[in-house]
Amino acid sequence: MARNIGIALALLALAVGSRIIYPMESLAIEVRADDLIPNTIFTNSMLVSLLVNLVLIGLAVVAAGNMQAVPRGWQNFMEWAIEGLYNLFKGINAEYAQRAFPVIATIFFLVILSNWFGLLPGVGSIGICHAAEHNETSMSEIRLAVSAPVDNMLPPSPFAEGSKYIGCQAGEGIIPFFRAPSADLNFTLALALISVFYTLYLSISKLGIGYFGKFFNLNGVMSFVGILEFISLLARIPAFTFRLFGNIFAGEVLLIVMIFLVPMVVPLPFYFFEVFVGFIQAFVFAVLTMAFIAIETQDHNEHH
Amino acid sequence: MEVEGLRLIATALAIGLAAIGPGIGIGIIVSGALQAIGRNPEAQGTIVTNMFIGIAFAEALAIFGLVISFLIGFGVI
Amino acid sequence: MEALGINLPKLIYQIINFGIMAYVLYRLLYKPVFTMLQERAARIEQSLKDADQVKEQLANAKRDYDAEIAKARQEAAAILMQAQERVKAQELELISQAQQEAERIRSEARAQAEQERALMFRDAQQQIAEMVTLTAEKVLQAELKQSHSALIEQSLVDLAKIRNN
Repeated sequence: MARNIGIALALLALAVGSRIIYPMESLAIEVRADDLIPNTIFTNSMLVSLLVNLVLIGLAVVAAGNMQAVPRGWQNFMEWAIEGLYNLFKGINAEYAQRAFPVIATIFFLVILSNWFGLLPGVGSIGICHAAEHNETSMSEIRLAVSAPVDNMLPPSPFAEGSKYIGCQAGEGIIPFFRAPSADLNFTLALALISVFYTLYLSISKLGIGYFGKFFNLNGVMSFVGILEFISLLARIPAFTFRLFGNIFAGEVLLIVMIFLVPMVVPLPFYFFEVFVGFIQAFVFAVLTMAFIAIETQDHNEHH
Repeated sequence: MEVEGLRLIATALAIGLAAIGPGIGIGIIVSGALQAIGRNPEAQGTIVTNMFIGIAFAEALAIFGLVISFLIGFGVI
Repeated sequence: MEALGINLPKLIYQIINFGIMAYVLYRLLYKPVFTMLQERAARIEQSLKDADQVKEQLANAKRDYDAEIAKARQEAAAILMQAQERVKAQELELISQAQQEAERIRSEARAQAEQERALMFRDAQQQIAEMVTLTAEKVLQAELKQSHSALIEQSLVDLAKIRNN
């Protein structure tokens, strides 16, 4: 009991001390992924998505390169994950679980790795300095900057006079080398489009042109149901996009703000929470896609 | 009041107000799901899956609020 | 859209990236894993089927064995019964043979005894006849002639007849 109280006091002291010794001078939050190489479309989130690809392919090779009848190690783990996902999908819709599995499982694996990659130390905080005025959009447009007084900093400051980043000149910002793809709208929008159009493709290939019948329900008063269906179909794209983006981006912001307020100890529970959120968002993306496939491929003429 | 200040207030209000409804909704969904699990623990897997689908639908509303909040906050509209 | 960072080339890049990843993962991960899972399921099913078959075979073997044992037991019983019957028959035969033998020996003995008695009787007759003749000769040496001997002979024959009766 006394030991626990001691640990708690030590943690508290660490938190308070870190707040005094390392006050964050500012925090920079960006909604967009920055171009790593100027005048190209290669952004830091693309770099990370390439890394995620490499990790996934490496995992696939390690797990399934030399399949054994009695699984062990990575093979066992990946078999467990894939079988679990497959059973989950089969529980939602047995008809399309096998056929849609490659697309939805790829969504799941890409999203979960992207989410967790954003939690690695150094992601978003290490980068190249760049002069803000050379950027085509001004800082005030794309950054929410929160400042804190720097004059109470006890050790000699590693920051240059007036600079927000170690090693950068005053007034310079950084372009991070890494950014979680899930915190880039291009990635989430791409996945949302793939999810929605894949669902459309499956339902049209099953129901034929009759699939569009539900949008043109001309039975008098109920005709607005068709319009509602159409709106809900359209709304699915931003919902998918911003659900993933919002959760991951907000998670990063939450962590940054927590580190800004108390640099040590306090951010830790939020960090674990973000690991959980990263899994849940990947799960929700995959399960929702499967659920929409299940809903959309039902023959609506049977019900009316 | 400056336009920038109004923009900040609007940003905060957009997501703040949009989070109320989904918050209540998710609470109801999880409460129902937990009761269902309590009554029928064997169906836990299905219930949890459907619970997450329901949460995702309710959460989508908050997400729309977040989108509007971003749009206002970053000066798109 | 630009303020939020959405940009058509980057979007297309992500879509293509996803397509490539889906294909690569399908070839490298999902397909082998599903093949392995199916193979394993098939193998387990096969083993279960094999086990059932073995069990059935075992049951069959047991049934055959039991039947065989029962048959053998029956046969043994039959053989035993046959043997007993044969022994009984032999016994009966032996007994009858022995009886016959005994009968034969008895009759032989009787015949021999009869013969000997007859022989003895004849000897005795002759001796008696001789003695009677001698005695009579001595008694009747004078008076009696040869003519009387016929009469004596006749009386001896009569005597023998009476004895034989």
